[in-house]
Amino acid sequence: MAARVGLDDLFGDFVRTWSNVLFAVSLFVVWGILTLLGVIIDQNRDSSIYFATYAAPVARLILRLGLDNVYHSAAYIGIIGLILSSLAVCTLRRVIPARLPPLRPVKIDRLPLHSRIDTPLDPATTRSRVENFFRRRGWQIRKRELGGTEWTFADRHDWARRGVLIAHLGFVIIATGTTIYWALGFSGETAILSGQTVSIPRTSTKLTLLDFAYRIEPIATKGGIVYQPIDYVSHVTVTGRDGRARRATIRVNHPINVDGTLYYQAAYGFGVRFGVLHYGKPVRDLSEQTLKEGDVLTLPQTTREVQYSQFAGTIDRQTGMPSADPRPNDPGVILNIFDDGQPVGTTLARFGHAVDLGGGFAIVPQRYTMYSGLQYRHDPGIPLVGIGALVLLAGLCISFYLLPARVHVRIDLQGAGSSVAMAATTVKGYDIFESQFAELATALPRALKAG
Amino acid sequence: MMPLDQVLMAIALSTYIVGAIVLIMYFFSRAEWQRNLGVPLVIAGCVAQFAQLATRYELTHIWPLLNLYGSLSLFSAMSVLIFIIFAFRYRLWFAGGFVVAIASVFLAYGLTWNEGTLPAVPSLQSYWAKIHVPIVVSSYAAFLVAAVISALYLLKHYFNRSLVARTTTAALAAAGAADVSMSGMQFESASAVRIRRDTPAIEVAATEGNVVARWLSTLPSLAQLDVLIYRVVAVGLPLLTIGIITGAWWAKEAWGAYWQWDPKETAALALWIFYAIYMHLHTRNAWRGVRSAWLGVWGLPLMLFVYLGVNIVIGNGSMHSYKL
Ligand code: HEM
Repeated sequence: MAARVGLDDLFGDFVRTWSNVLFAVSLFVVWGILTLLGVIIDQNRDSSIYFATYAAPVARLILRLGLDNVYHSAAYIGIIGLILSSLAVCTLRRVIPARLPPLRPVKIDRLPLHSRIDTPLDPATTRSRVENFFRRRGWQIRKRELGGTEWTFADRHDWARRGVLIAHLGFVIIATGTTIYWALGFSGETAILSGQTVSIPRTSTKLTLLDFAYRIEPIATKGGIVYQPIDYVSHVTVTGRDGRARRATIRVNHPINVDGTLYYQAAYGFGVRFGVLHYGKPVRDLSEQTLKEGDVLTLPQTTREVQYSQFAGTIDRQTGMPSADPRPNDPGVILNIFDDGQPVGTTLARFGHAVDLGGGFAIVPQRYTMYSGLQYRHDPGIPLVGIGALVLLAGLCISFYLLPARVHVRIDLQGAGSSVAMAATTVKGYDIFESQFAELATALPRALKAG
Repeated sequence: MMPLDQVLMAIALSTYIVGAIVLIMYFFSRAEWQRNLGVPLVIAGCVAQFAQLATRYELTHIWPLLNLYGSLSLFSAMSVLIFIIFAFRYRLWFAGGFVVAIASVFLAYGLTWNEGTLPAVPSLQSYWAKIHVPIVVSSYAAFLVAAVISALYLLKHYFNRSLVARTTTAALAAAGAADVSMSGMQFESASAVRIRRDTPAIEVAATEGNVVARWLSTLPSLAQLDVLIYRVVAVGLPLLTIGIITGAWWAKEAWGAYWQWDPKETAALALWIFYAIYMHLHTRNAWRGVRSAWLGVWGLPLMLFVYLGVNIVIGNGSMHSYKL
């Protein structure tokens, strides 16, 4: 029995804590701080970057606490989980039961917002005029005989008490939508060379890039010439689940939808075919590949590697260095050379010109082909996230702009006439209703007179 | 000859500066003529600014929203506009000088980012830019207005507190201030809203000729200032929510995912969390007033970090640094 009572107490304490606004706020604070840390600390970088940016102990702390990937850390997901559980407990225990409070007599003079009006009318006429006054303004009227006195209660925006519930529900719907993506969605990237066909994993879609086109324009600004990208377009053929090939255009901001998966224009680059020579003879295996930026070639029987680091669209004739113009006018490639994993040099190679790599090897950039970087994403949670966002917004607006309020009115016989005493309460304290109450208190005597 | 948009910008900035000075004078002296001069000046400046934004669009056919020059200009225009709306609704002109002065500083700072007109990069060529950017910027503007009112709240509160120690109960009673502290509001006279005296020491000092107290006693009561801050945040937070939703929608069209944990969008989320905290605390009696006014003030540096700090300091990794 004692154990049972103890458990009940424990459960009671848990529910009280979990549904407390201050507990919710503490969780929000942690959530906010983690979110800001992710803004300040560069995310998903190589560990060396953190050591280069911060003092070693700070860098170690960042890596150990997982602050280099905050948003997918256990702490971050955990705090959102805690917020959802606290939200659920609070909603079930406090928000849903918070119905219209019972009709009770109040000590009118004790409430901060109160007012008294004397009128020569008899109590019955006064009561009906007071009721009409409030009804005309959209208040709901109820009457009760309590302790021998007749009370009139005027309520306004009662249904707006549900605003908090709606806002909280919106948040839960958004969380559900994002969870659906984790459970059922997928996304990825693919780079397709002009003329190439790729199969998209987890779908039955095949994409062929017919050609990639871009528009970059030199524009004179105060700071000099800026090469401004204007348009990126992939012309493709897609084959979906139905097996029929069709043509499509993918542009930035204009994705295509194939069987519920969206394909986006994300990036572009130049694939380069290199000739690799060993004592002047082509090394066939290596020379038949087209490399994309970042790809690496390992030279056979050596510890040497060459990385195609970057495409340089235009090499400045005077300086021999890459210029700011990214368009391929007089192009070259930047190569990084490694020995035993250690960088040994970087060089700029023009097309058709061989670069000596040592050990009898040389490399020649031969021709380039453009490739298009596409992103794809299948997210069945999106409709739910959208609905959740709208519900959340509706909840915010209801909670903030519609104030549930109650005016308690008592009418007493006084001399030959009556006296009207009224006081107001709201769900957000008294100050917020001050000017509206003053307006009611000003208008009511006029309404009583006018009838 | 100066192009029309620059002429309008010069008119806006100069009327703001003069308007701000006149309204700050009004804050201190409460001379009607200063308000009657300052308000039209500020409205004229705001109109000139929106005309400037429209003219710039007409001249270049590029929405002036996509760089700091355009966005700061819109930010200051929206700050002043939102302020004007609130001022008409809640008689807030006393704070106008401060809001307009801050808006002018941002406008002037924005001018230093004018690099000429660049067409938008592909990811920004979307009608969402025209919806998302103004909404987010308006929410920042609302938070700026809330911060200014919060600062006035704190000024009045702490000044009152510093006077309380020096003011005797007898003096309070003599000035008729003691009994109107926080005890109750009775509307027997049922006149229009009156200034509630919840800073009795300031009332006393004002009657004794203390200049600062005289300025502060003409502000709305602390309770009313608290409600005003709440009302302004209650405009800013839904705007920020709509801003984040439209941004997510746009991201879904442009980059494939509605949420990428990009520094800018995450920073906006942090700001949203901050004002959600404000709203939750404001449901508690103990947190209304001084504590929530402090939150209102702290919102300003956070908002500026989210708005400017992320672009200027952290911009590199962000999709909002406007590269494909
Ligand atoms: C940790 C979870 C949360 C808990 C325990 C919680 C609890 C509460 C409580 C107790 C109230 C006050 C109800 C009242 O007395 O009138 C409230 C108000 C509110 N909550 Fe939450 N909440 C949580 C999360 C959220 C979230 C994530 C949102 C955003 C969608 C949100 C939006 C609101 C709104 C808009 C109000 C009304 C505020 C006002 O009217 O000024 N809450 N919440």
